[in-house]
Amino acid sequence: MSARFSWNQRNAGGHRPPLQQIGRTCFASRGTILLLKGQFKLTIEEIQHALEQRRYICDRSLATVIFLSMTMGKPVLLEGEAGVGKTEVAKVLADVLNTTLIRLQCYEGLDSSTALYEWNYAKQMLRIKQNEGRRGTDAMVEPQIFTEEYLIRRPLLEAIQRDGEIPPVLLIDEIDRADVEFEAFLLEILSDFQITIPELGTIRAQKRPYVVLTSNRTREIHDALKRRCLYHWIEYPSFEKEYAIVTAKVPEIQGFLVKQICSLVQRLRLMDFYKRPGVAETLDWASALVAMNRHELSKEAIEDTLGCIFKYKEDIERFHTEIADKTLDLDPILSPDATV
Amino acid sequence: MQQSDTVRDAIQRFEYLRGQGTLLNLVAFGRVLKEAGIQTSLGRMIDAARALEFVNIGSRSDFHIALRSNLVSRKEEISLFDRVFDSFWQEAHLPELPSRLPQGFEQPRRGFSVDSSSVTLISDDTSRPDPLGSFAYSPVEVLSKKDFGQMKFEDSAAIRRAILLLARKMATRIGRRRKPDGKAEEIDLRRTMRRNLKYGGDIIEFQSRRRRLKKAHIVLLCDVSGSMECYSRFLIQFMFGLQNELWGVDTFVFSTSLSRITSLIRTKAIAAALEKVSQQALGWSGGTNIGRSLQTFNRDFAPALVDHRTIIIVISDGWECGDLNLLEQEMKMLKRRCSKMLWLNPLLGDKNYEPLCKGMQIVLPYLDYFLPAHNVESLVNLARTLEQVAT
Repeated sequence: MSARFSWNQRNAGGHRPPLQQIGRTCFASRGTILLLKGQFKLTIEEIQHALEQRRYICDRSLATVIFLSMTMGKPVLLEGEAGVGKTEVAKVLADVLNTTLIRLQCYEGLDSSTALYEWNYAKQMLRIKQNEGRRGTDAMVEPQIFTEEYLIRRPLLEAIQRDGEIPPVLLIDEIDRADVEFEAFLLEILSDFQITIPELGTIRAQKRPYVVLTSNRTREIHDALKRRCLYHWIEYPSFEKEYAIVTAKVPEIQGFLVKQICSLVQRLRLMDFYKRPGVAETLDWASALVAMNRHELSKEAIEDTLGCIFKYKEDIERFHTEIADKTLDLDPILSPDATV
Repeated sequence: MQQSDTVRDAIQRFEYLRGQGTLLNLVAFGRVLKEAGIQTSLGRMIDAARALEFVNIGSRSDFHIALRSNLVSRKEEISLFDRVFDSFWQEAHLPELPSRLPQGFEQPRRGFSVDSSSVTLISDDTSRPDPLGSFAYSPVEVLSKKDFGQMKFEDSAAIRRAILLLARKMATRIGRRRKPDGKAEEIDLRRTMRRNLKYGGDIIEFQSRRRRLKKAHIVLLCDVSGSMECYSRFLIQFMFGLQNELWGVDTFVFSTSLSRITSLIRTKAIAAALEKVSQQALGWSGGTNIGRSLQTFNRDFAPALVDHRTIIIVISDGWECGDLNLLEQEMKMLKRRCSKMLWLNPLLGDKNYEPLCKGMQIVLPYLDYFLPAHNVESLVNLARTLEQVAT
């Protein structure tokens, strides 16, 4: 297994050397694996390791799902609470594969002209004007202005048309925000990876892009779409995992502070808040404390930075009442010899 | 029957497929999943089998995830899948599966425990004339004014049919509404370009397009506690009908706690759906804790489900057994998020009723509409109100 793949640590962060081909795999800087032909040959462990190298700490089940998605050519549908790192998966994956990330942010009313393609009308208009008066050109104009030159590529077309050694990673973010019509339309693209433009014909993907869909579950995604995807639910991380995430993402932070932050956040997640703090909140909080030069938590420090953890006035009030009522006791977390 | 028994039974039933290679085991596993309530399809099974080619099936966890990511597609199913997986792929013994129903909770004998005699399937019943079409002249009219609470068993099949048809009609009326003509419109550049090619670059004919009206998004919260029992039987039918015809309806039931039943009642098979509802809606026909239920809703569902276009419909008599302050606080929170708040109270049908109970008094200031829901006629009124609200 390891012969297929190795980390080139010497060049980490430095300038990228020309690619050197060895067998079917070649090495680029920062441990990037390039695939020349055929299928992806990363193992589950390698994926997990590669994600961790890029400071994305994930458990084996997520790595397995990504692995399966690559080998089977099936899109991944990631669901989970807000702020657990769903979108990040796609970003890191693109980095691991050293390929482009093409992102489509969904919203209600998203239609094919924003997601797929659009004609460049202004340019077309100019072209027509330019041709004006030339003899015999009128009939010629139409075939001229409906060519690729006048086509504006939107994310989905971009992802399908992109040719390179490695297909791009296509991130379809917050699919639950788009309407059902768009979902149906997406269904067609995700099953065949081809797009028909009436004026140009059918464009087919040379290689299937790696597709990651995320959803916040504002509504159920239709079964037909789900059936085409591998499903994975991302949980809030355990204490150990969260500790590892904070240390990886905020390297300047000191171990003891991380321990305090994580145990408090873990404790808060067990309570009834409107918006329970996600990993994103933990990281914000950690960075804020580091920026304030804090090396350990104190009641004042928590008070000053509550805005990082809670996003609702009611939640902050709730936090205060819980402390006043002694249902939430900060002392064990704050004490210097705290054990978790 | 308890969940664990179902699984155990199913495992035994498909025993003959086992021990004859992974593929047959997998087929048997698919069957057991189906019995346990997780829908599997042929396509998914094929993909799951394909996935096994790529992972090391010697590793239990990889094997587990490979199957799960292919066969499960919603969070709620994950824990059930894990339990079935554990009992199926562990030949030695079957662990005691925790039942979905809490101890001492009996299947409700009335209401939605589906003894199929009490539930009429509309879709199967095409020979009958459309009761709603001849609404004004049929015995249904009498029924339409009759209080749900006083309804006898003989009436109920007819009334259910009427309710379902009403919901269906109402749904199509709301769903098909479009913005009226004559407003300023967007220019459709694509069609304009095409149309004006013949003029050599001068734009002479404008082509315009109109945005379709956003469909209303409705969230139904239905009280199924003891005091509402005689009504909620009918109201659930209504919710069922509405949700299945109109896209963008989410349905919840609550008594002491809240549960989301949107996906449970999505299917057209009403009998099976209702059975599932009564199985899952914990504390069906118990006391009421509206405040706590709303709190759960506000915390877990509202951030994602409710926006400024959402219409919230609460169906309850407002008999709050829990904390009244909490109720007020949660109502305030919810009102701030949503577009319109409707409250249907079956007791409002009684002429002598005044909303005196504390719970009702507390919520009144936060309501946009306070409507009765005690008979079919009142539901027709609801349809009219919704039509106004949903524009």
